Amino acid sequence: MANSALKLADIDAFYGDSHVLQKVSFELGEGHLLGLLGRNGAGKSTCMNVSVGLLPPRAGAVEVFGAPVTRLPPEEIAARGVALVPQGRRIFKSLTVRENLMVAARGVIPGTTHAPWTMETIFTMFPRLAERHAQMAGYLSGGEQQMLAIGRAMMSNPRVLLMDEPSEGLAPQIVAEVMATIRKLKESGLSIVLVEQSPKLVFDIADDIVILNSGRVAVVSTAAALKNDGVDLRQHLGVF
Amino acid sequence: MSFWLLLTVNSITFGGLLFLLSAGFSLIFGLMRIPNLTHGSMFMVGAYLGSTFLSGALGFTSDFWVAAILSAIEVAVLGAVMERLLLRRLAGQPLAQVLVTLGVSLMVADLCLMGWGGDPISVATPEGLGGFVRAGPAVFPLYRVAVIGIAVVFAVVLWLMLDRTRLGAKIRAGVDDPQMARVVGIRVSQLFTIVFGLGAGLAGFAGMIGAPILSVYPGLDQDMLPLALVVVILGGTGSLLGSFVGSILIGFIYNFGQALLPELAYFVLFLPMVIVLVVRPQGLFGGQIL
Repeated sequence: MANSALKLADIDAFYGDSHVLQKVSFELGEGHLLGLLGRNGAGKSTCMNVSVGLLPPRAGAVEVFGAPVTRLPPEEIAARGVALVPQGRRIFKSLTVRENLMVAARGVIPGTTHAPWTMETIFTMFPRLAERHAQMAGYLSGGEQQMLAIGRAMMSNPRVLLMDEPSEGLAPQIVAEVMATIRKLKESGLSIVLVEQSPKLVFDIADDIVILNSGRVAVVSTAAALKNDGVDLRQHLGVF
Repeated sequence: MSFWLLLTVNSITFGGLLFLLSAGFSLIFGLMRIPNLTHGSMFMVGAYLGSTFLSGALGFTSDFWVAAILSAIEVAVLGAVMERLLLRRLAGQPLAQVLVTLGVSLMVADLCLMGWGGDPISVATPEGLGGFVRAGPAVFPLYRVAVIGIAVVFAVVLWLMLDRTRLGAKIRAGVDDPQMARVVGIRVSQLFTIVFGLGAGLAGFAGMIGAPILSVYPGLDQDMLPLALVVVILGGTGSLLGSFVGSILIGFIYNFGQALLPELAYFVLFLPMVIVLVVRPQGLFGGQIL
């Protein structure tokens, strides 16, 4: 196994009284792409919120490249190289495209191999954002907002990228574009967690697969093994 | 004719003063999601401190403007310290934070009463601005016109700060989505301190600028706080444009209400707030920072 980029160990997390994650453990290898699957409400987004510090777990540990970050505030976890492309994109609507990227900019964290991301490299990757750099982000189309959310995450030069349903609500053609971008980011050596409801999008691109069911880890496997085994995923993921 | 004109100028002047007071209140509300109930106290303390600098009681006499700037700085530091020492410890507990600001405002009122006594203190109009401006049949106090100018300058400077600087963009990001701002690495807690200090300093400055018109007296804080609240609810929390438009509107409503329907002055003042809350709870410019 490669070095661990992100590790969740025996995470118990609650929203109020509801126990949304129960002893959840999984590990993202450095340079790997981990597909995190599960039905609506299985706890995928909660795992993301725990990883970035938005929801401190009641028990368990989170590690980034071997260093504990459990219960650190989100800005400290961000400073250790974790970036999130959140569900619903959550771009800053009253900021321009350029400002959305600017506020997230940060120098390179030691240990990063890839050439640093800058506004220019992001505009090269997403020429449409360059065209709209002075526009208020709230006026962008859904696909453009998704590109901006990815660009904003990359501006912090992360070592771990968490993507929470980046295909949600996008036209198929745009989804293909987003998936191509994710593939490129993976090839650059970035360690990625990709959360999706649909395994179709994830199986081809992922190295490892974790399936959550009702707040517990149901399956941990490599993507290749899962594909060949023909495991009946329907019990965990519903009909697809 | 000249009565109406004078009333209009007074309304705009008061609106300008309200803008200086409520711009910070609105930013704090938008960013930290709490109404800072010490904001009226900051206004009053600014005025008291300024009057003391002006009086020479500290062994040196300062010019009106120096006194205004010194008291603004002191009040800004006071606000920043309060944010660091008290509100910071109650992060994520808005009700506790609001109650703390209420408690502090009452304590500050007592301390001011102890320090400066119960008699109103009048503050002289700054040198050179004691005259009058003649416009046709009407005559306006020059100082009131100057206050309008000051408010406009501050509005422009604040707008530039929010719109053109990296700090401003971070503040807007924090108002937009505080959680996501932290996730992208913005140190929102530092922004809280900066915005709280800035807002307090502006309120303190406004207190001194308003002193030649309103004078300084116990209870000034509780007179000003509801006005700031109305402005911000009318204009929308976190919106600079909203506080500007809201301030001018309230300046008019307050002055015309007092002149025409003195017995219903508060009714006239709070009616628009009630209507806005029911019909458009986000305020006239809610969700739009600039």
